Amino acid sequence: MTTMIHVENVAKHFTLHNQGGVRLPVFDNVNFSVAAGEALVLAGASGAGKSSLLRILYGNYRPSAGHIHITHAGRQIDIVSAVPRTVLDIRRRTLGFVSQFLRVIPRISALDIVRDPLLARGVDAVEAGERAKAMLARLNLPERLWNLAPATFSGGEQQRVNIARSFVDPSPILLIDEPTASLDAANRDVVVALIAEARAKGSAIVGIFHDEAVREAVATRYLDITDFRKAA
Amino acid sequence: MTVHVSPPEANLDPEPLLSVAGISRFYGERIGCQDVSFDLWPGEVLGIVGESGSGKSTLLRCLAGIDRPDEGEVLFRGSGQPLDIYSVAEQERRRLMRTAWGIVHQNPRDGLRMDVSAGGNVGERLMDRGDRHYGKIRERALDWLQRVEIAENRIDDRPRQFSGGMQQRLQIARVLVSEPRLVFMDEPTGGLDVSVQARLLDLLRVLVRDLGLAAIIVTHDLAVARLLTDRLMVMKDGRVVEQGLTDQVLDDPHHAYTQLLTSAVLSV
Repeated sequence: MTTMIHVENVAKHFTLHNQGGVRLPVFDNVNFSVAAGEALVLAGASGAGKSSLLRILYGNYRPSAGHIHITHAGRQIDIVSAVPRTVLDIRRRTLGFVSQFLRVIPRISALDIVRDPLLARGVDAVEAGERAKAMLARLNLPERLWNLAPATFSGGEQQRVNIARSFVDPSPILLIDEPTASLDAANRDVVVALIAEARAKGSAIVGIFHDEAVREAVATRYLDITDFRKAA
Repeated sequence: MTVHVSPPEANLDPEPLLSVAGISRFYGERIGCQDVSFDLWPGEVLGIVGESGSGKSTLLRCLAGIDRPDEGEVLFRGSGQPLDIYSVAEQERRRLMRTAWGIVHQNPRDGLRMDVSAGGNVGERLMDRGDRHYGKIRERALDWLQRVEIAENRIDDRPRQFSGGMQQRLQIARVLVSEPRLVFMDEPTGGLDVSVQARLLDLLRVLVRDLGLAAIIVTHDLAVARLLTDRLMVMKDGRVVEQGLTDQVLDDPHHAYTQLLTSAVLSV
């Protein structure tokens, strides 16, 4: 199986310069790999650094030490030292981040938000529109909302738009942070099915799921972050 | 087992559009900006943030060919040979600024001709570029007014009859009609109402993406920076104290000053 993520000696601490220079250690010496078709679920108590690790994998937080090798277009690239335009290219084509929050952009319709990643990957406009509609329908978003900007949607509706956007064309690597937090049981099951389908198509998945049923349905492997916490 | 079809290799351009090395500008003893270096690639949007007096506008004026820096060089690769914009003749630099570059001023009055019609303001840039066919110029001007959401029946009105937001959109049309490769913007949404800002920001975001523009945007508004830019440089006392991918700098700021800036934002 192709290794999609290889994490090597990653450490993270935060230094709060404006609060007396307090140094908050998060973890140290993190090492693991994730292969295509695997779903690694991060475990550990709240505050253990699960979300921080996920953000580091995405190139959003910068680790204090170590490397993250991402398999991108057939090559391994260290996202920690990559220049911004390379990181953006990796995100566009290889690395997707699914959060529970939608970053609402004024005046952009739900349909356009979901269609956008397809267009960015060169799918033609008609096909992109059809696939986006099918995904919104599958997540039970009422059709009357499709052409509206999600700013006025409920939290659960916004979350489903966000999930539709992430799964309309699942990236080879999916980083997932609490995707089912405010969803009802029916939609939660749709999300679990979408994750399973992405994995079957070969996506490598790293996720955080508080809901135990979801966690067990999704995981092929667990990683307890607590093991990497060092005594401060 | 990977069944993902590899997408075609992205066209990552081999060379930067703009290479900036060691730019400094002093006002007597006082530092305007000091030792700023970076590369900007085609299609990249770079934000320069910092509070007033941090040197960001001084830097922008040096980069855009308006004020000559005391040290350093600005290399532009438009087509063919890289051009050191401060070593070429004044005339050549002006030609470049008219054709390959665009500058969006914070105050639309600095970028518009207030006594010339909206259509004339847009058409003038095309004539500067050498277009002569009146019908085609008017047609393109009209097309651009529509793109910036100015109604067709306002084409013969003068900018002073427009609201501030409309003036700013007109200025953007005037700058983009000549299809520049690189656009400089100084606080493009400064001085506008929040609702007008949102509309303008969305317009800019779409235009920048659709046209594949490279842009350098000076702003003190971190929300504007997050929405519009790929990369950020944070300036303090004339120097760049932190830079990187926009979401990295805003979500995981390392420098004390950047931490102060990001923690001072009120979220709504």
